[in-house]
Amino acid sequence: MTQPLLLGLLAILVAALFAASLLIGPAALGLVESLSALVAGGPEGDAVTLIMREVRLPRAVLGLLIGAALGLAGAAMQGFLRNPLAEPGLIGTSGSAALGAVIALQTGLAGAHVLALPGLALLGALISVALILAIAGPRGGSLTLILAGIAVSAFAGALTSLVLNLSPNPFAASEIVFWMLGSLTDRSMVHVWIAAPFILLGGLVLLGLGRGLDALTLGEDAAAALGVDLSRLRLWLIFGTAAMVGGATAVAGAIGFVGLVVPHILRPLVGARPSALLPASALGGAAMILAADIAVRIIAPDRDLKLGVLTALIGAPFFLHLIWRMRRQLA
Amino acid sequence: MSLLSVHGMGVRRDGRDVLTDVSFDLAASEVVGLIGPNGAGKTTLLRAALGLQPATGGSSLRDLAPAARARQAAFLPQSREVAWPVSVEMLVALGRSPHLGPGGMNADDRAAVDRALDRMEIAALRHRPATELSGGEQARALIARVLAQETPLILADEPTAGLDPGAQIATMEVFAGLASEGRGILVSMHDLGLAARHCTRILVVADGRLVADGAPLDVLTPGLLAGVFGITARFEVTNAGPVFQALSVLPG
Repeated sequence: MTQPLLLGLLAILVAALFAASLLIGPAALGLVESLSALVAGGPEGDAVTLIMREVRLPRAVLGLLIGAALGLAGAAMQGFLRNPLAEPGLIGTSGSAALGAVIALQTGLAGAHVLALPGLALLGALISVALILAIAGPRGGSLTLILAGIAVSAFAGALTSLVLNLSPNPFAASEIVFWMLGSLTDRSMVHVWIAAPFILLGGLVLLGLGRGLDALTLGEDAAAALGVDLSRLRLWLIFGTAAMVGGATAVAGAIGFVGLVVPHILRPLVGARPSALLPASALGGAAMILAADIAVRIIAPDRDLKLGVLTALIGAPFFLHLIWRMRRQLA
Repeated sequence: MSLLSVHGMGVRRDGRDVLTDVSFDLAASEVVGLIGPNGAGKTTLLRAALGLQPATGGSSLRDLAPAARARQAAFLPQSREVAWPVSVEMLVALGRSPHLGPGGMNADDRAAVDRALDRMEIAALRHRPATELSGGEQARALIARVLAQETPLILADEPTAGLDPGAQIATMEVFAGLASEGRGILVSMHDLGLAARHCTRILVVADGRLVADGAPLDVLTPGLLAGVFGITARFEVTNAGPVFQALSVLPG
């Protein structure tokens, strides 16, 4: 399949899922009714307009942004580490971003300044990505990567739980679940504005790294001799993934496995080229999150099924499958 | 014309000198063989000359900006890495990346890829995933990547290791053909017979020092072979060209 055709098909899929996300929900609204309320708006205080613009639109936009962020960050990280197991959720990036977000919320910094929430999430992600690359850089191998990821995830998770445990907030315990599993329920346009700049900026950075990641297919020395500045590539990669994962996690919690599953499915369709995988994974990630977020609404409309539960249910078997295929290398 | 000029180059690693005061020039139309025992510093020399490794002293390549260097010299590392199952054609096309404008590959770039595939006789494999090739085929695909870069200078670290005899000779003949077009080749290798026959000049590295530099006949003397490699050998110029055969290991 040619690259424009694949991207076109993925874009159509994302558009269809975006529309479906707008039209499916507990309030049974008519198709024409809901679309006209969304675009034209109804009379002041109209319930349909309110639901469409304040509930469903931000949820769909966030699904799009967060899915694209997780898919793209996964593809970029895998390209840099030359390892299909690198994924923001698995190696602790999402967990560290969640820790940053929880600190921002519990200390009240998030209320004091609008950038504190995504900023601290980005900082958490930044520290974890830098740590992972330092421990399990391109020469580290899969096993080092996974073990370092487990350690970082566990530590970030423990600190998140600690902050929430010590919090006087009576709902803190249930918040742990949100930050560990992630969800798009009850998000507003404020959340969109908090996350979007970080995700878009990170996305621009990561999409620009394609050629360097392609050259890395041949290994570090060959890439450097091809004119790739590896230390600059590493810095941009750390910043780009941290911005995307930080922005996404700040408003939706840690949603795992998207960056693992999506590049894995799309890699054969782009001829395995890391640069071609970047935009495809962004679209694929958006499609996966939009679809999963529609599914949680359909499967258990009144139970608030967490988005991260569903992505883990799909993703964990994928992860096992990948390990199964790589087990000789890992041993 | 000098394509590469290295003078007084040294590399220290973990408090040990791995390369000391290496100086040489490489001119157009030369195929220079870099030989020496395991651990003598051949790979370090190539990497330091390119600037991939911190070093003291001077190298004309190291002074170039990375992008300019990539258009002046192509490097084939010893480790044959292909991280993803990209097609052979795509792998070879990576050699064009230093030449690409914002629009990506143009007709000239595609022609360069075709030339490289033809030279290494792997055009038939162009659509196969590079990770599924045999070791020898993959080695040739990676050499083709270096050729596609179409640089005046090629540095290759053991390109013939693991190839069958025919492919080894074919590879050295490709290098000779490139040299006859005015390019310069610096190639590290362990097969002294191959070096004796196909190189115009040989550099010998031992314990991080350049101990000999000259035509194969002048360099591969019994004294040098005994001192550096600890072997005896027979080296004759026959009707069929220079023939070198290592014979025995010297005691001690």
